[in-house]
Amino acid sequence: MLRGLWRRRWLSLVVLIVAVVPVAAASLAPVYTGAARTAIIRNALDGAVPDHRGWRVTSPAEDAGELARQVAAPFLRPPIAGAELLSPEIKGLKFYSLLWQDGQCGHVTLLKGRCPSAAGEIMVSRASGFLPGATVKLSAFLEGPPDKLRPVPLRVVGVYRVDPADPFWFGRALFPQTAGVTEGNGDPLITTPQTQARYGPPPGDQIAVASGKAWVTSAIVYVDARRVTSQDLAALEAVQGRLRDLGQLHENTTVFTYMETTLQAIRLQIDSLSVPTTLVALQLVVLGWLLLFLTVRDLVAARAPEIALARLRGLSSPRIWAFGLSEPAAILLAALPLGVAAGWSVATAMAGRLLRADLPVTVDADAVAYGVAAVAGGLLAAAAAARQTVAQPVVEQWRRTPRGRGRTWIPEAVILTITVAGLVELLAGGAITDSTGQRAGALVAPGLLAVAVALLARRLLPLACAALFRLTRTRGGIGAFLAVRQISRGPATASTVIVLAAGLGLAVFAVAAWSVTSRNFTDVARVHNGAETVFVVPPGDIARLRELSDGIPGTAPVVVVPGPPAMLATDLERFASVALWRPEYGGGRPLAELVRGLTVPVAPRVTLTGDRIRAHLAVPPIPKGYDVVLYADFRVAGQTTPASIPLARPIPSRAVYEWGLPRGCQDARCELRGLRVEVKTTGSTDYDTPPDSITVTSLEARHEGRWTTVDAGLDDMRRWTPRAAGGSGLTLSISPFGGVSASAPATFPDPLPALAGGSTGMKLPGLDDAHRAGYAATTPVAAVPGLNAAGAVVDLDLADRVAYGYSPKAEFQIWAAPGKGAEIREALHAAGVPVLATRTVGDRVAGYTGQGPGLALMLLVVSAGAAALLALGRAVLALYASARRRTYELAALEAAGARVRPLRIALLLEQAVTLSWAGLAGVAAGVVAARAALPRVPEFAEAPVTPQLDYTLVPQPLILVAVAVLAASLLAAAVTAELLLRGVRFEQLREAPA
Amino acid sequence: MTAVTSPAAVVRCDGVVQIYKTREIEVVALRDIDLVIEEGESVALLGPSGAGKSTLLWLLAGLLRPSAGRLWLGGVEVGRLGTRALDRLRAAQIGVVLQNPARNLIPYASAAQNVAFAQRAVRRRDRRAAGDLLERVGLGSVRDQPAGGLSGGEQQRLAVAVALANRPRLLLADEPTSQLDADSGRAVVELINEVGATSVLVTHDIRVSEAMSRTVTIRDGRIGAEGRDGEDFVVIGREGAVQLPPEYHELLPPGSMARVEPLRDGVILRRAES
Repeated sequence: MLRGLWRRRWLSLVVLIVAVVPVAAASLAPVYTGAARTAIIRNALDGAVPDHRGWRVTSPAEDAGELARQVAAPFLRPPIAGAELLSPEIKGLKFYSLLWQDGQCGHVTLLKGRCPSAAGEIMVSRASGFLPGATVKLSAFLEGPPDKLRPVPLRVVGVYRVDPADPFWFGRALFPQTAGVTEGNGDPLITTPQTQARYGPPPGDQIAVASGKAWVTSAIVYVDARRVTSQDLAALEAVQGRLRDLGQLHENTTVFTYMETTLQAIRLQIDSLSVPTTLVALQLVVLGWLLLFLTVRDLVAARAPEIALARLRGLSSPRIWAFGLSEPAAILLAALPLGVAAGWSVATAMAGRLLRADLPVTVDADAVAYGVAAVAGGLLAAAAAARQTVAQPVVEQWRRTPRGRGRTWIPEAVILTITVAGLVELLAGGAITDSTGQRAGALVAPGLLAVAVALLARRLLPLACAALFRLTRTRGGIGAFLAVRQISRGPATASTVIVLAAGLGLAVFAVAAWSVTSRNFTDVARVHNGAETVFVVPPGDIARLRELSDGIPGTAPVVVVPGPPAMLATDLERFASVALWRPEYGGGRPLAELVRGLTVPVAPRVTLTGDRIRAHLAVPPIPKGYDVVLYADFRVAGQTTPASIPLARPIPSRAVYEWGLPRGCQDARCELRGLRVEVKTTGSTDYDTPPDSITVTSLEARHEGRWTTVDAGLDDMRRWTPRAAGGSGLTLSISPFGGVSASAPATFPDPLPALAGGSTGMKLPGLDDAHRAGYAATTPVAAVPGLNAAGAVVDLDLADRVAYGYSPKAEFQIWAAPGKGAEIREALHAAGVPVLATRTVGDRVAGYTGQGPGLALMLLVVSAGAAALLALGRAVLALYASARRRTYELAALEAAGARVRPLRIALLLEQAVTLSWAGLAGVAAGVVAARAALPRVPEFAEAPVTPQLDYTLVPQPLILVAVAVLAASLLAAAVTAELLLRGVRFEQLREAPA
Repeated sequence: MTAVTSPAAVVRCDGVVQIYKTREIEVVALRDIDLVIEEGESVALLGPSGAGKSTLLWLLAGLLRPSAGRLWLGGVEVGRLGTRALDRLRAAQIGVVLQNPARNLIPYASAAQNVAFAQRAVRRRDRRAAGDLLERVGLGSVRDQPAGGLSGGEQQRLAVAVALANRPRLLLADEPTSQLDADSGRAVVELINEVGATSVLVTHDIRVSEAMSRTVTIRDGRIGAEGRDGEDFVVIGREGAVQLPPEYHELLPPGSMARVEPLRDGVILRRAES
């Protein structure tokens, strides 16, 4: 057998290469999918903010470190243990967090002094203002006997600087003073575990726990993205479950994490990966089987004389089958490890280039099983290919009598029927008709269409050549005459056209799909990211965000609140200068022009600071049975809901009323957001003479003992809405039968003018996520930068006027102008602003590429390209083999006086026409498949709501492929024709035809 | 006419007809063949190209089944045998040498492997030792050389050795000397005669036919003549048809009319003058 393989070494090599392809294609899918899954997990973890990729377990009663260590997994980093005690300074000015965390000295930069190492030592931030050597005392951190408790003196031994974005701190807003927030809490006082051990209450001290004077132990656990693989996903979900249970099963234990969200995103992406990659691999395996069938048929045909000998010698049928298939079987068995190795190599290269560099690419049992399945299919293909040779009577073979006309139309009709039935099934099943692009089943459509077009092309070519018979009798010389006749009768033409057209069809589809998808990836990434680079910064207030943006040129302050509908509030002029915008989204208008209409004149805010408020009222007679209360609503810093006070309970005899302002108004500025009256009636109410209305004539606030008039615009009709103001003051109805009983300063319009695709009729969430105001699109646009769902862009100042505070859902961002990402990152760092996350257009594109559909398409491009090259090679070989069998005829023609030139032309024409026809049919099949199936082929794991995807084909790559195919075909034709003609010798005529 | 029945007959054809079907037409290759070959006979099949010699040989090899008529090989009627039984019969009782010596051999296998390949289909005790066989045909020195590398004469002798590998009762050879020089051809024929098996050779070579005990001439798919002991006889066909040997066509050209004049032991054909 080995000698036979060596004797037919070139053909055997071709079979080996062809056999390796389906095995490689089959094993590539699971290997690459495994790597892609790992990449999805690692990318998700790497891109997540700390609380989305880890857990922070806290407990005042138990050792959180011990609790965290109960949940062990190889991919978890060791817990970062720590403890914390929140207490006001002894002077009561600020709250400080006295804390320690394992390894803290490695995560701070010491500006002065040293890291604390003993009990009672602390280090402080520069912003805290404490100096080395100073002593700090906290009112909740005491020592001594219960009756003589006194604050523990904490000695400052060092001054630190930290990177608040360091995951070591778990993304907590621990450093408000460094961030520039001077009110409320101070930066942490970092101490040692010994401090807790020496001065703190013993662990589990229930009294301390109950009184809030116990240290809260903590443990931060992170997933090590470098060690986690796709095999660990279930274990990771189990870890999440166990840690979540910790919080539920242990009293006073809390687990802070958003890991569930991250895991859901991972699961969504991973689930979207399997079906498309399997479908892609399946098509390529089937194409590989077709190639294998044809090539093995050649190999078995080359052994036909030996098989005939075996029959002549009386070998039994099983032995003849074994004899006939021994070589293909040996080659296929050799192809298994080679194919799996090739699949692994390609997967490794692809994973390194397309996914990430640190991925482990492993051949698992699935990959081997897929390879074995491909080999088994190859054996069946080999058996099918060998059947004719093995079953053909020996005498027929020797006599070379043509058998009855082969009914080749039967299998073709079967394939076409399956194709049509498959397409109908897909249409009926919704895969093709569903234009949302999320039906992976549509991925089989290109393969089906490619085969159908290939079969039609195979039938049309001989017919077209037959139609040229008459023409070539009279003109074109003997070259064209011979060529068209050979093509019209040649069986090699049929298989060549089918294989090449189907292979190229799939490859052209793959190129078309990838070019269109890449364009959509970029477009969607541009819109969803909004700017080239977006930095997520810690939440604060918009004044601080604006101040930050003002200090860094080329930036825009943005606050995004998820919807639906989502809201993006920004400084419009800056937004227009940094946002990624295509004029076609807005009817050809630049963004700067569109956002101009989003600012409108509004009344000034009514602000005040103080501890008391006084209202001057004009009160009409109030009949018996009416209980009237005038309420004032305030926006207070640090709150997200209105703070209301019962400003007055009006009675006719009294004009001045006074009430305490909300606590938050004493030192900070509050905003009066409305005045309203509530009227209650009792059983003895006199409904015949209802009260009229009260008039608020002026408001005063007391601050630091002095009363000052509040500029509320009570006499200006335009400053309040509904328009109850004017003349002598703000008039509110106290009648139970109607009238304006509440009014608010007209500091913002409702609906807010917005840049949006159109109004949904829903209210925007607002900065406080309270859905207080609607929105109206000034000019409908096709896409809004920064929004990946229905929503609107509004002016940041107007959004702030609507809100009472900031929802935890609000994400504060700094957008960077194109090309300025690195520079702005540096500037943010210099300003001491931690960057919680960085999002770039490139990252988003890479993310889409790493999702299931993107990976499947990339797999399709690589594999289909290889398969198409193989198909071209196989086609050239088939033509060569077919023409070689005719060298006897050519020798006879030459001997009869035919000149070589027409023969060369005939061969060249025959091969060039066949290859070009097959190539063009393949290109046509690919283009038809792309036009029909692309809108139905999934491109994203989750279909983007905006912008609308563009499915028009990108012509350049398709033209490039078509030209390359034609050039390769013509070159192959020229080379094979020349090689064949050089082999034509008169001596052949002395031999029997081969 | 009915074939003579003999218990020692290795081959018996009774009205055998063979028709080839091609795409559009049917070709009658043999018609009404009646032939008996006794054990130990050596028969040369003669006739012009296309007369049906090779077809008859393939029928005798069990590679074809008669389209009509009956064929017995070694006393077994071929038409009653299944494919497997026919394969076994061929493997055990029939050795075949094809026209081109190279077509009998697997070129990349050694001479000994070629012999062994032919022996795969029979029981071990029925095999001849390959070494002895190769020695006997004078190829002992090249037993391990690939068959494709042997000379034409060596290949032909190896082809005969392969055909004899299973001690066949019937040896069939198609033009076994056509590509050999005179000496090599003579050696091959002597070899075939030496082995003592019943043999049927298709040949155009007069020297080969003279070395056989009997000749059968086939023309237009019929047995036209037989030669025994140096004398040629025409054969009267089933409907009384007689094929005149070509040398008499001048006297009685095809298409001419003749008078049949009976004699006591036969008839005389005289050309009828028009």
